[in-house]
Amino acid sequence: MVAMEKAGVPTVAIAAQSFARAWQSCVDGWGQPTAAYVVIPHATTGQQPDFIRNMVDGQVDAIIQGLTVLPVTRGPITDQKTNGATEVFTVEMDASPEGLDAVNRFLAERDWSDGIPVVPPTPELVERMLAGTGRNRQDVMMVMEPGFGVATVEKIAINAVMAGCRPEQFPVLLAAIDCLAQPEMNHRDMQVSGHTEAPLILVNGPIARRAGINCGTSAMGPGVVNSANTAIGRALRLCLINIGYCKAGTGDPNFIGLPTKFGMCIAENEELSPWQPYHVDQGFQPHESAVTVVTVTGPGDILDSGSRSHKDTLNNIAQLMYYPGSGAGGWIRGWQSAQVGHTNQRVSYPGPYHPVMLSPSRAVILDHAGFSKRDAQEWLHERCRVNLQEAIGSRGVPRDDNGKWLHHPELQALEGDPEATIPMLESPEQYLLFVTGGTTHYANFFYGTYGIATRPVEEF
Amino acid sequence: MKVKIMSPAASRVDFKVPPAPRLATFEGKTIGLYNNMTGGADVAVDRFAEQLQRRYPGVKFQRYGGDLREGRPVLSRGVHIDDEEAARIATEVDAMVGATAH
Repeated sequence: MVAMEKAGVPTVAIAAQSFARAWQSCVDGWGQPTAAYVVIPHATTGQQPDFIRNMVDGQVDAIIQGLTVLPVTRGPITDQKTNGATEVFTVEMDASPEGLDAVNRFLAERDWSDGIPVVPPTPELVERMLAGTGRNRQDVMMVMEPGFGVATVEKIAINAVMAGCRPEQFPVLLAAIDCLAQPEMNHRDMQVSGHTEAPLILVNGPIARRAGINCGTSAMGPGVVNSANTAIGRALRLCLINIGYCKAGTGDPNFIGLPTKFGMCIAENEELSPWQPYHVDQGFQPHESAVTVVTVTGPGDILDSGSRSHKDTLNNIAQLMYYPGSGAGGWIRGWQSAQVGHTNQRVSYPGPYHPVMLSPSRAVILDHAGFSKRDAQEWLHERCRVNLQEAIGSRGVPRDDNGKWLHHPELQALEGDPEATIPMLESPEQYLLFVTGGTTHYANFFYGTYGIATRPVEEF
Repeated sequence: MKVKIMSPAASRVDFKVPPAPRLATFEGKTIGLYNNMTGGADVAVDRFAEQLQRRYPGVKFQRYGGDLREGRPVLSRGVHIDDEEAARIATEVDAMVGATAH
């Protein structure tokens, strides 16, 4: 709506109560904190038309006022002065319970935390973190939405300190931020969607060992052995909160949130995997390091204890793919679009990518049966299918003026066939097989939602 | 003990959009009704149109939904209007009311 105001058209938006703070946060980021909107009690999705009409009736006068009365001007809400220099605060601490918690209370009062106690980001600790990279502290890695915060290396380092990162882990975090900076990552929608999703950080190459990232038993859980995994994942979340202004209930309007949003980071168990590492699939050399970030919801646990063959294992994985409403078959409508920056520039990207976290033991079963990673992906791609009529659904598919499908016209001949099926995902590599964790009979499956990107880790 | 800590909050990109001039009257005006194709958003803006037309019978409406690019009518959800689309729509309407399912 701010784009329309920018074009000289007065606007008013209708937003649900639970999104009111998110709306305000959004228009702050879009440079028009006074943008007019009215609030109705409930989201309209799934409501009966009369219920929606009654809600709107209560706001008609307010909408008219918004279109006819110039809003009072005020400045955008910002937590950081814009003179370039990072503010430094002095906090009194002592050995009392209150004194020990002083820094955390100071940060919490400003909504600068994920709600869990942090390491105080002192200038000394930040300097030490910056020693973990060859980048300049004022280098800008990206502009992070929805708040359009400027992600300098220094700001990222401050949040890394708070999360408990060590300098040798900092390059992994920077590479993860670099992933978010790629347009095809669609980090805006990851941040502001009302449904639940979180960034999953996947690490490959020698950096995993140098950074102390666990790729074995319980690597995505709590524990001292997972301190690097936890700290890096948490640091990314703190950056999303403090740099992107994606704060719970405002920039982040998830209806309930996800525990995975506190952070997820894991390395591939390259030593035990029978297949080449994921980053090599993406064109990197084995001796190089890379970080992949993929936006996901879930995970679900795949129990494979009853399998007696590689096909049983693949069938077990495939069974979790059938999730109504997950957008299966949506690729027939063409690629999704990310929209980037204040101009809303559109960037098309393929997706989603569904990460399957495969235990080394499951990968070995497939390997011994003669299945390469690609074979397994193609097996899943061929067998995980959705009815074409369901994929078309009530939304239909884009057509030209003559009714011809704009995307995948080769499938249009099947349009009237009630038995026709298509693959759930457009291409086999969208089943992202990542070998990790302990050598057991399990796998974990995440539903990909938005984008994915892989970026190199700096050698320093 | 005094501890110095650095602010973790980022500066925002300096970007400001002043409010557009408001309408002096609805008579003879065309109001854009935008919904992003999420459930019920069309019902919400249509209800406002219905109520507004009762008060101002001369008002006209122009409906926009979903993806506004050429050849991609009313399908994609969650899309935003880019600058080019906004400039085009500004030649077609005098004001706009929008809703998402949110």
